[in-house]
Amino acid sequence: MKKGTADIGNTFGSIGRRSVLKGMGGLGLAAVAGNFLASRDARAAESLNYMCWEGYNAPSILEPFQKQKDASISIDLITDSAGGFAKLAAGASRDFDLVSSDSPWIQRMGPAGFCRFIDEADFAGQFAEFYPQFRAPFAPLAFEGKATGLPTRWGWVGPTVNTKFDKLETWSSYAPVFDSAYKDKICLLDWGDWPIMPLALYAGINPYEELDEAALEEVRKVLRAAFKNTRAIVADLAVAQKGLIDGSFRALIGGGTYATSALRMKGHDYIQSIVPEPKNGLKQGIIWMEATGLIDNGKNSQIAADFLKYIVSPEVAKQLAITEATCNLVPNSKAEALFSEEEKKALQMDYMWTAWDNSQFHTVAPNIDDMLAIWQEELAAR
Amino acid sequence: MVGPIIDAADIVKDYGSARALHGVSLEVGAGEFLALVGPSGCGKTTLLKILAGFEEPTGGRLEIQGKDMRGVPAANRPTRIVFQKLALFPHKTVAENIGFPLKLQKVAKPESDSRVRAMLDLMHLKPEYLTRYPAQLSGGEQQRVALARALVSQPGVLLLDEPMSALDAKLKKSLQAELKKLHREIGTSFVLVTHDLEEAMMLADRICVMRSGHVVQIGTPADIYYRPANMFVAGFIGETNFLPVTATKTAAGATVTSPLIPGASAEIPAEHVSPALSAAGTALLVRPESTRFVKGDASPGEWVLDGEVEEYFIKGASTQYRIRVAGLPAAVVMDLPGSIVLPARVGESVRVGFQPAHAFLLSE
Amino acid sequence: MQIEQKSWKDPVLIAMVAPLAIVMVVFFLIPLLMTAVLTFQTTQYYRLSWTWNLKIWTEVFSKPHYWTIMLRTVGMAVVCVLLCVLIAYPAAYAMATRLKSYKTQIQILIIFAFLTDAVLKTFGWILILDKNGVANWLLMHIGFPPEMLNLLFSPAGTMIGMVYNLVTYPMFTIYLSLVRIDRDLVLAAYDAGASRLRTFFEVTLPLSRPGLYSGAVLVFVLSLGAFLEPRVLGGGTSPLASELIRQSFETRVNWPLGAALTLVLIAIGALTLAVSAALTLRRRPNQRSAA
Repeated sequence: MKKGTADIGNTFGSIGRRSVLKGMGGLGLAAVAGNFLASRDARAAESLNYMCWEGYNAPSILEPFQKQKDASISIDLITDSAGGFAKLAAGASRDFDLVSSDSPWIQRMGPAGFCRFIDEADFAGQFAEFYPQFRAPFAPLAFEGKATGLPTRWGWVGPTVNTKFDKLETWSSYAPVFDSAYKDKICLLDWGDWPIMPLALYAGINPYEELDEAALEEVRKVLRAAFKNTRAIVADLAVAQKGLIDGSFRALIGGGTYATSALRMKGHDYIQSIVPEPKNGLKQGIIWMEATGLIDNGKNSQIAADFLKYIVSPEVAKQLAITEATCNLVPNSKAEALFSEEEKKALQMDYMWTAWDNSQFHTVAPNIDDMLAIWQEELAAR
Repeated sequence: MVGPIIDAADIVKDYGSARALHGVSLEVGAGEFLALVGPSGCGKTTLLKILAGFEEPTGGRLEIQGKDMRGVPAANRPTRIVFQKLALFPHKTVAENIGFPLKLQKVAKPESDSRVRAMLDLMHLKPEYLTRYPAQLSGGEQQRVALARALVSQPGVLLLDEPMSALDAKLKKSLQAELKKLHREIGTSFVLVTHDLEEAMMLADRICVMRSGHVVQIGTPADIYYRPANMFVAGFIGETNFLPVTATKTAAGATVTSPLIPGASAEIPAEHVSPALSAAGTALLVRPESTRFVKGDASPGEWVLDGEVEEYFIKGASTQYRIRVAGLPAAVVMDLPGSIVLPARVGESVRVGFQPAHAFLLSE
Repeated sequence: MQIEQKSWKDPVLIAMVAPLAIVMVVFFLIPLLMTAVLTFQTTQYYRLSWTWNLKIWTEVFSKPHYWTIMLRTVGMAVVCVLLCVLIAYPAAYAMATRLKSYKTQIQILIIFAFLTDAVLKTFGWILILDKNGVANWLLMHIGFPPEMLNLLFSPAGTMIGMVYNLVTYPMFTIYLSLVRIDRDLVLAAYDAGASRLRTFFEVTLPLSRPGLYSGAVLVFVLSLGAFLEPRVLGGGTSPLASELIRQSFETRVNWPLGAALTLVLIAIGALTLAVSAALTLRRRPNQRSAA
């Protein structure tokens, strides 16, 4: 459609990862650019085609590897995790060597037949450096005992609050989202399933379990109630962050550290993402994680596996943690020593295990399509 | 007594610092057909636009039907114009085009319809054309629709801005005849702008010749043709011969002598002498049709020039000869009645004769 | 008026038309057919399965919210067309008549407006429409109560963005058709006794119709695809068709549904165009000028 190739987020120097979809045109353009790069560097001994989220493509990450291995890497940026999965499933997996995406989708790529399962023993050295929570055998990426890929970035989803206006304690629950005192002061991030999950959790529904009609009806009710009180449903991170800083939004819902750390890194240390207290025994926070997998394209080159080891190594993990647009945590505990105090503070590292303990681990919800359909319906009725 | 329908006095028009009209005065009588002629840029179209109300004069006075036209917009003037490119409304049918002025005057539909039909008859257009669009008509038919639109509201003056310049010669001839007939039938005053003096002479009762923003001469076609005010007017129509002479004014007219005809002198009657005669550049105007080949003796009073046939053109009704005469800068042009027997061939030595007393004496 | 009657079998004619025909088939007809074929499939576990059934169409026709969004999209497009035309016509008229001497400068400005990134321009509106933005600041300073306008994140905000981004199209097409009108036609109307206003409605307006209609059609078609404005300025208050279709394709990975919604949008858009064409062009004269 019109302006299909426009990348909204880039304009303001930051990218809504789960948002801002460049449309088919953008994808096509990226593919063309990728092919161009590939042909230009035809002299390189080996080439890798890499599908990834923004951040993984930073030159500071890719260039040392290309030099060291005499390889050239072509990038295809993901704009939507499900969309990226669908693209690979539709046959694009033949053209790619590596993929970095949200962990639930990487986890499925092995069983779906277009990612290689990895032998965790081959990566024992890497796992040894990870925080205990990420060590092998790592369940979130395993299917019937077989693992797909390694974890590469993570964070949590909870209310993002401007502490100049609100106390953190106010947001120990999602209740203000529905409070008339907060009418027209809430911003939902329009990032697919992400805003749905926390609201469902608040309604007492665990969206990561199989849901019946009654439970889906509860999800519908909580979405409807939230929409009533919400000022805006925003897909672009820059717009949401601007509103949060100037106080027209009291909280962003559906984001979390992904929406926070880069602001804190730039000095807005009064912006914080927290995880609400468990409600009736149901953990209200969500841990999101990205992983990198090896695509099964028939070639299965060693260099792709080398890249996997490279991307989780402490120095590279640090580069991956602090990027221009977003800042995120990494699973490698040795990277922690490389961060400055400011960076640690920006990443809210003192809070990370509290968040972990009070959170669900994000997976692909069994009823996600039903919930997305409900989201669309309720939005249309607004 | 009925006064002039148009009375223009000392009309001046400036475009910025350029002066297009230098004090033009003109009268058009009721029912008169006046032609404004002159070369491109002479100001005739500017004058027409001032009459129509599209341009405001910089100075001077303009009255139409006795009313001062200062500040009166085109819409409120008793004039109607036919444009050079006709300016028929392409999105309106023939009936709508013709009926447009009536619609603006809020004439009731039945009356308007009958008047449009009457115009159609007057212009010899078929009734089925009413529902057609201008682009579906031929050039001549469009011309008539434009005339009908201009005349339907019975204007005091009809202005025509070279409406026939784009037509082919044959169609032009027939339309010229129709226009003359139309003028006689409806009796409205017509003001026609044209650069074609022949057309003006055919159609107009009086002709106003303009040059560089000035009126050079106003007169009947016969005046303009036989008694031009100066050589510019004389040379403006067709081809003509100027024989340089020396003139001395007398009580009865003038006595002229020519260095080309030694010893001969002729008396020119006063009515054949231009009132604006000056000493410099005096010449006899000899029209090509007033010449003949002299074989044998000259007639009494006839002047004869010796020359040689340079070229001839058979035009049908007439044959044109060009005769080179020693001492004259241009060849002498002769129009002789057409004949199956050619009077002379190229290169032949001939004698060209004319009656100086039938010529017109003028200066530059 | 001389239109040569040529046979469709004329080899020269076929050769001349062939390139365009091929382009149309390859780039328009085939993708459209593929889209249509897609609507009869289903997705399972984010993969397309070739099932050939009417499941998607049943879903499309049984869920009213798809139609709510489609009709809202068409409604917004119609309002956008009206606003654009109402703003563009006087502007184009002034350019073509009153501001003739600034013609070049104006044309350069319009071209710049076309070339400036729509994304940038749309984001600029946030700064103006925000509660604490420029518009409210100005209103406050001329005596209105603070935060009087609440346009950001509203359908009105979306509309402002759409009109702003699209108004240059009709401005340009109307301008082009206005400058093509022979000045003599206007004079002829004055001469026939028409006032300026009457001349405008009898001559200028009808003769500028081609530019008016082509501008309106451009705005309408582009409005149907409005994506950026509802996303940036709408704040989820006025979801439009293109966002719904994107969600279906990308987030839900339901390609058949996205394809079906695309076809519905194209059909509604084409129908609206056909109806308005039938209404406005009932008496469509031959517009060729008589000369």
